[in-house]
Amino acid sequence: MTQAEIKLCSLLLQEHFGEIVEKIGVHLIRTGSQPLRVIAHDTGTSLDQVKKALCVLVQHNLVSYQVHKRGVVEYEAQCSRVLRMLRYPRYIYTTKTLYSDTGELIVEELLLNGKLTMSAVVKKVADRLTETMEDGKTMDYAEVSNTFVRLADTHFVQRCPSVPTTENSDPGPPPPAPALVINEKDMYLVPKLSLIGKGKRRRSSDEDAAGEPKAKRPKHTTDNKEPIPDDGIYWQANLDRFHQHFRDQAIVSAVANRMDQTSSEIVRTMLRMSEITTSSSAPFTQPLSSNEIFRSLPVGYNISKQVLDQYLTLLADDPVSLLSLYLASADNFSTLFGSRCARIFRLVLQKKHLEQKQVEDFAMIPAKEAKDMLYKMLSENFISLQEIPKTPDHAPSRTFYLYTVNILAAARMLLHRCYKSIANLIERRQFETKENKRLLEKSQRVEAIIASMQATGAEEAQLQEIEEMITAPERQQLETLKRNVNKLDASEIQVDETIFLLESYIECTMKRL
Amino acid sequence: MAGNKGRGRAAYTFNIEAVGFSKGEKLPDVVLKPPPLFPDTDYKPVPLKTGEGEEYMLALKQELRETMKRMPYFIETPEERQDIERYSKRYMKVYKEEWIPDWRRLPREMMPRNKCKKGPKPKKAKDAGKGTSLTNTADVLKKIEELEKRGDGEKSDEENEEKEGSKEKSKEGEDDDDDDAAEQEEYDEEDQEEENDYINSYFEDGDDFGADSDDNMDEATY
Repeated sequence: MTQAEIKLCSLLLQEHFGEIVEKIGVHLIRTGSQPLRVIAHDTGTSLDQVKKALCVLVQHNLVSYQVHKRGVVEYEAQCSRVLRMLRYPRYIYTTKTLYSDTGELIVEELLLNGKLTMSAVVKKVADRLTETMEDGKTMDYAEVSNTFVRLADTHFVQRCPSVPTTENSDPGPPPPAPALVINEKDMYLVPKLSLIGKGKRRRSSDEDAAGEPKAKRPKHTTDNKEPIPDDGIYWQANLDRFHQHFRDQAIVSAVANRMDQTSSEIVRTMLRMSEITTSSSAPFTQPLSSNEIFRSLPVGYNISKQVLDQYLTLLADDPVSLLSLYLASADNFSTLFGSRCARIFRLVLQKKHLEQKQVEDFAMIPAKEAKDMLYKMLSENFISLQEIPKTPDHAPSRTFYLYTVNILAAARMLLHRCYKSIANLIERRQFETKENKRLLEKSQRVEAIIASMQATGAEEAQLQEIEEMITAPERQQLETLKRNVNKLDASEIQVDETIFLLESYIECTMKRL
Repeated sequence: MAGNKGRGRAAYTFNIEAVGFSKGEKLPDVVLKPPPLFPDTDYKPVPLKTGEGEEYMLALKQELRETMKRMPYFIETPEERQDIERYSKRYMKVYKEEWIPDWRRLPREMMPRNKCKKGPKPKKAKDAGKGTSLTNTADVLKKIEELEKRGDGEKSDEENEEKEGSKEKSKEGEDDDDDDAAEQEEYDEEDQEEENDYINSYFEDGDDFGADSDDNMDEATY
């Protein structure tokens, strides 16, 4: 784990779970697998807090445990899974586009809680949806269940490994930690539940503002004494499946950019057909006959079989690496080095190896500038030099030096930069928020006052008075803050998209090697 | 020797033309320090993508951030004692739901052990009955029993072992090996010693002390 990744994980954990969990999590990422005692000792936290933190981390699939010899349980953190937290909005939004609001809320609840039973999910989502509906209407559990089943069928949610049911023939003491197992075919098996019910609105008495002391826990409207039918069967969001979906989307849009709409539709069809048959990490889809493709094309496209064949041959003949296009795209290089550099880079990428002089000629850039840019890129490891000796003694005066692009290395480099960028973005956002903390709190209080006054029916003049508590320059400051924070957040999301592409590429290439 | 012509003068062993510099040209200086922390960017960054999807994701992200802070998984750092206890603080506390993990899925050592300490743990045992957790009520009763017995000291270990043998599920009990338990208990004691002002040795009341105070605790909680 590079320092940049560790720093990013630390920021993410801290934002989502607080400092204690962050301390434990980062410690585990840094040091690898450790038992409970050692963690407590090394981090200087009390055993109690370490346990709480670990419970949270395990619940969210960020830490796993293993029983080693002599009954010692060791805990290990999954750094890459922590980094996925950046992508939560994307997962949720994707589900919204595919399965509308119900699906969106299901995935959101699963991501927020780590893992849940189906009945718990259905109940939470129904309640939330009911809140947003008009008065008097409620959301039926059945509809939510249906969406859940559809998500499970398309593998977007999967079952967590569960505690094996052991008979009590085991005479010795139970093991220090359960060995969770999951059967491949059970992973998407939805338990036969008959969830009957409707979503419930929160009673207005529960929605008190912070003014009331809450000495007692508000009563839950549900009956908790009922046995839960699917107790022990937990579900989690299947991130790999989402990644597969993103990848397919990226491929289709790249093909559409390079060729035309029809060919992208063909590719989309092929990908959809192999959605479930191919595992998400396979480098190639299963070979499909053109007949199958023809039959599966969406109804609107009535192209003849020959045309389809033509397209297929065209696609096959154009071996374009998705990533090389992306790397060379103006976006990356304009920011770092200028668009001319982008031109040079694309050139070297295409021609594989070029001499200094050739670079100048092809790119039509004056020699001095070209030199400058090449060396800058070289120093950042986007481009490398390849030596081709003319004589066996490798004498420098008789050796060709060619510039070339090593895509894998360049991708890794860029990825590292991305991690650093996001860490910087998050830090800046936190800084901005902290700077204006006083002002933000004030504006929140004012909003709360206005809301409560409106609820009790206050006059316009009074509301006006309260609003003026925030002066105009303060309002300006708040506006600026909001704009900046939005920009920073949006940048985080987009850099994460880049991270996804780069990581997928690296993974794919490593598999093929 | 022809090669020694450059003693004291920089001479390149290869044809400098090949790499692109012409002879005699001024080469850029060697950089002797790390690059600046905030380098100047000559080029403006590419504008961000905008669109319905992006805006939605942005709003989602900010909402998620806020929601996460209110979830029970967000563990607040215990604040240090303030000089003045502010009255308003009591009323501004955000109410958080308690979350009880499914102990069957976790290693046994994760279960919080506590003795006669007043705190969220006995409450948790009670709340587990009414809360939205998935633990059995039978387990809760067992836990309360254990808490009472804990005041008796090491005896509770053996009793737990017996109980476990007779339970159907492989529910995690309070203790692993005896050694481990002993160490843990000692550790907890030390832990507690630091937190209150009383020296435990003053209260050598024997076995009755723990049980009594536990009873009192249980009655006091809601």
